[in-house]
Amino acid sequence: MTGHRTQNRWWIYVPLTVALIAVISPFVWMVLGSFKGEGEILANPPTWLPESASLDNYTQLFSRLRFGTYFLNSAIVAVLVTAGNLLFCSMVGYALAKLEFRGKRALFVVVMATLMIPGVVTFVPLYVLVVNAGLANSLPALILPFLVTPFGVFLMRQFMVGLPTELIDAGRVDGASEVRIFARIILPLCGPALATLGILTFLGSWNNFLWPLVVAQQESEYTLPVALALYSTGQNSIQYGLLLAGATIVVLPVLLVFLVFQRRFIEGIATTGIK
Amino acid sequence: MVHKTSRSIAGVSALVLVLAACGRGDEQTGGQGSADIAQGPATGTITVWAMGAEGEKLPALAKEFEDANPGVDVQVTAIPWDAAHNKFTSAITAGQAPDAAMVGSTWMGEFAGMGALDATPSSIDKNAFFEGAQRTTEVGGTSYGIPWYVETRLLYYRKDLAKTAGYETPPTDWPGLKEMAKALQAKSGAKWGIGLQAGGTGSWQSLLPFAWSNGAALTKNNDAAYNFDSPEMQETLKYYGSFFSEGIADKEAPAQPTTEPDFVSGRVPMFISGPWMMSAVEKLGGEGFKDKYDVMPMPTKKTSSSFVGGSNFVVFKETKNRDSAWKFVNWLASPQVQVKWYQSSTDLPSVKSAWQDSALTADTKLAKFGKQLDTAQSPPTFATWEQAITALDTEVEKVARSGADPAAALKAAQASADSIGTGR
Repeated sequence: MTGHRTQNRWWIYVPLTVALIAVISPFVWMVLGSFKGEGEILANPPTWLPESASLDNYTQLFSRLRFGTYFLNSAIVAVLVTAGNLLFCSMVGYALAKLEFRGKRALFVVVMATLMIPGVVTFVPLYVLVVNAGLANSLPALILPFLVTPFGVFLMRQFMVGLPTELIDAGRVDGASEVRIFARIILPLCGPALATLGILTFLGSWNNFLWPLVVAQQESEYTLPVALALYSTGQNSIQYGLLLAGATIVVLPVLLVFLVFQRRFIEGIATTGIK
Repeated sequence: MVHKTSRSIAGVSALVLVLAACGRGDEQTGGQGSADIAQGPATGTITVWAMGAEGEKLPALAKEFEDANPGVDVQVTAIPWDAAHNKFTSAITAGQAPDAAMVGSTWMGEFAGMGALDATPSSIDKNAFFEGAQRTTEVGGTSYGIPWYVETRLLYYRKDLAKTAGYETPPTDWPGLKEMAKALQAKSGAKWGIGLQAGGTGSWQSLLPFAWSNGAALTKNNDAAYNFDSPEMQETLKYYGSFFSEGIADKEAPAQPTTEPDFVSGRVPMFISGPWMMSAVEKLGGEGFKDKYDVMPMPTKKTSSSFVGGSNFVVFKETKNRDSAWKFVNWLASPQVQVKWYQSSTDLPSVKSAWQDSALTADTKLAKFGKQLDTAQSPPTFATWEQAITALDTEVEKVARSGADPAAALKAAQASADSIGTGR
């Protein structure tokens, strides 16, 4: 883009700046608020900078929460769920996009149908299933039900449909096995889609609250969001300072994931859109 | 108990509906099976759930129970208040409930209706508790569990500002309260005379203390139906609504009001709330604020009554260690343990005799809460209470915010409540 064209499009930056402020300001207020005392947070009209910044909320957070345990639980669950989705969703997606077999259409319809059903509806049946499978009170109960999601399957299929079938045929002609074609030809081409799926799944799992709350029967299995709710929201009052500090900490790994995959993520949105 | 934290997860109501449907099946199985508990020390493992700060502090107390009963292991799991209700209903449905648990007092009707709770054994003395609190454990005439700790609502007011407005002692009746609120506005620079909830979830908790003080009964026909449009209720809502229409209370008050800072700054020098607000406003007000405010009982119309909330302790029917679970619950209800619990958690004892302990009598504000508890009442333990009361909340909002006719509003609330039914 030349300097001349940028100058002519300065007005684009006006709505962009407004949108940026609208998106960023609650986040900034959260981070700043985590250094404030309870009274300042509730002050009306709200203020930006803390009058007397302190790390009280953070020290309280780390001394009261068994932070290491919760963080580890959250990380294990999020990483395994993400890995499972990347593998299984791309496998199913590949089959639905490129392989010919009986009942393919029906299978795709079933996947799409489950995509339409909101999670809360299947919540209790899923819980009963997990309990009957003997998984209650264990970390796998937080992971296994989410290893593959209809949304992930749909995303991967849509991306793979756009890949040239000639590549697969060429692989077959050269005598590659189906597994090899999938692993060596298809997956490397799916980088952007995998990055998108990975980020979305990681975020979803990292922030998931209701399922870990209901399934985990001991504090040693709590994930970060559950633990945070436990210590910051009371029966009649909420400790906003603690909540803001906790939310700031919880968001850090997510930011990190996004920064690392940012380029691929944007690429992913662009390419899936074009195809 | 009712907590106000936002539980706005879309579809929670859908979940509740699904669960309610699941629970209907084995209703009424063994409603009165209050077989007595065996003698001797408790043994085995008892799994216990408790919410929030209580869950955090209960393990230390349970340790003392373990010391007194060497063969027992009490495993406490702390669960967040947020969505705790979902956790319970899911666990009950899936047969994963603990042996014993702390349960919000407004959930009793629902859980007992699902057939999940064990009836209280006769050896536990039900007269030891405040009557209003004990009634929160009773569903259809059977008691399930004990009231563990209680809270009630009083009027908080700024003593210093009241003095400026010419009040050395607070008023004791309805007209007096309104006069005082007006005086605070006129002479003490208050923006609003009193902070009352103008609608939204939980408005009923502001309204009902007045209704009960006016002798209103919330059920009729021998507990067969809700009774929201009685003459007493009409009179109460008219009085309540007049605070808004006369500009004494803020019509536009947000659903999550900034009660504490407004109280400390003197912007709203009166409000109705529970004992937890004492530490909240003192923390915010800083040094010396303790002497700048006081609490007073709900003003009298026919009598002075308030809302009693808190949490109960129940034993689940599925427990494999019933005797020991009840022994633990019974131990929690002994006066000494109740005082000890107050000292570690500041939860107010539900056992009347515990209030004679110097730990509680020393604080004059606290003693007023104790006195109000004698007459405080609880809402009916119908499984449909939360649904029915939402209809009342909506109508209260119409009266408070837009000056709708109280009689018509209550009629509408009653019609909704009738169509919902008591769930029995």
